[in-house]
Amino acid sequence: MATPALTAEHLTRHFASRVAVSDASFELAAGEILALLGPNGAGKTTTLRMLAGLIAPTSGSVQIEGDPMTPRAAPRLRTRIGFLTEAPGLWDNLTVRENLSVYARLYGLREPDRAVNDALALFELGERSEDRTARLSKGLKQRVALARAIVHQPRIVLLDEPTSGLDPESARGVRELIVGMRRQGRAVLLCTHNLDEVERVADRVAVLRSRLVAVGTAGELRQRLFAPRLRIRLSTAADQFAAVLRSSGAQDVEVNGTSLSLAAESRPTPHIVRTLVEAGAGIESVERDEPSLEEVYITLLRSEGGTVRSSRGASQ
Amino acid sequence: MRMLALLRKELIDERQNPALFFPALIVGAVAILLPVIVAIIIPYATGERLSDSSDFQAALELYRDQPRTRGLDPEAAVQAYLFQFFAVMLVLIPVTSSMALAAHSVVGEKQARSLEPLLVTPITTFELLGAKVLGAFIPSLALTVISFLVYVSVTLVFAHEGVASVLVGPRSLGTVFVIGPLAALAALQMAVCVSSRVNDARTAQQFGVLVILPIPGILIAQLAGAFTLTAPVIAGIALGLIVINAGLMRIAIALFDRETILTRWK
Repeated sequence: MATPALTAEHLTRHFASRVAVSDASFELAAGEILALLGPNGAGKTTTLRMLAGLIAPTSGSVQIEGDPMTPRAAPRLRTRIGFLTEAPGLWDNLTVRENLSVYARLYGLREPDRAVNDALALFELGERSEDRTARLSKGLKQRVALARAIVHQPRIVLLDEPTSGLDPESARGVRELIVGMRRQGRAVLLCTHNLDEVERVADRVAVLRSRLVAVGTAGELRQRLFAPRLRIRLSTAADQFAAVLRSSGAQDVEVNGTSLSLAAESRPTPHIVRTLVEAGAGIESVERDEPSLEEVYITLLRSEGGTVRSSRGASQ
Repeated sequence: MRMLALLRKELIDERQNPALFFPALIVGAVAILLPVIVAIIIPYATGERLSDSSDFQAALELYRDQPRTRGLDPEAAVQAYLFQFFAVMLVLIPVTSSMALAAHSVVGEKQARSLEPLLVTPITTFELLGAKVLGAFIPSLALTVISFLVYVSVTLVFAHEGVASVLVGPRSLGTVFVIGPLAALAALQMAVCVSSRVNDARTAQQFGVLVILPIPGILIAQLAGAFTLTAPVIAGIALGLIVINAGLMRIAIALFDRETILTRWK
């Protein structure tokens, strides 16, 4: 089995008497995007900082491609990590090229100018490379910050709210760049409040509220929290057919105008459809009724006493 | 290499912000003009010789005792005394500029929230602090050299013969190029320390008054005859500044701890 790009084991961080992060364990594989979700103050940024070796955990450990993150090893291991902080944090008086160039040299790259040119090309910043970053739009600044985060070709990328405050077009551009990072085989940990974004780009989701509430794919989390349901829209009022379904063995049948909703696993879908057609129902659509990720997220936070596990991440 | 990369950034940043140098340039202009007014313009305007004034008899006697100044005519000796006396003011140039640059540098990073991405790189605290200190110190030192050259040139053009050569002696050079840089270093380290606790560069600079105040103090003490800036006095002040600098450096390194910056700097 391949060594995970990043492993967090029982990560805990206290600030005086306040517990910011408690006993969080998860893994991140190369070419995977893991979204870290949680309300404000849930410890997401603290977790990212511990993973980047910026602050030490009170207890627990971080491994970067199997190497333990210790204070001594941190400067070396940080060369494998790209970190996009919550604010772009660019030097406004420097040009785009100068910003990237300083970072390429801080990472000790052998050919810093080439690395900068590659990053400028990848993020389509060539035309603005000689502009001072103070003159860039918020979206372009975020693009430069992303280019800076990977100018040294890190294998692990930590992104703290990369689309926060961006207009939809800029946010979409940033999302495409994040997906591009996965294609390049980078392991991406995406910290965000944007659940739609998570649905679009993340392979797995981790929900944090000081402690890790759940880790898994969106589908896994849905399955664990909500029984799958079937929604059938009819061309006429649905009440008369609810009794037909119940008598055929369907469970938890609900009626809402011309729609029927029932537990999906109570009867096979073709059987349910055949029963309705034989009873004279006009079926317009049949679909699995999946709760949104937002519903999953809210349910998880409300019932955080429970623990949800997946194959590659666990919490207490 | 990493320190040089960040130092380069500091210098580019300063080049884009010429206003940062205005306070030091104003101080420099005053430091150069003041002795010219006192030693050259006022005597010229009033038609009175400084060497005839009883106020400067002590200076004349002092200069007659020193081999370097023994050959000067009385008016030149008084002018040399005044230009050496006011040379202390040149120390204010590196102190003012280094304070402004250091405060802008650290507070600027805080305001731009650019410290965290910087800390993610493999740069060490020593390299980070070194680049910040050098970034403020090098331009300040350059300003000092330029100001001193202007100071000497002014005496060459306007003062009596021999005055300029007295200024290029150990007393003036020690004052400007030993006390000056050491005081500048103390000022900029203080600005760095204070900057870690405030979010406004001007507030950080105001604390630099603690370093600036003793300099006019030296000027006034000399004027009052409390002491003269002789080589041993300069060495004593330099030693004191070295001790202060060592203490400030320890504080600055402690304040620049990564965790402190990320979790406590506001």
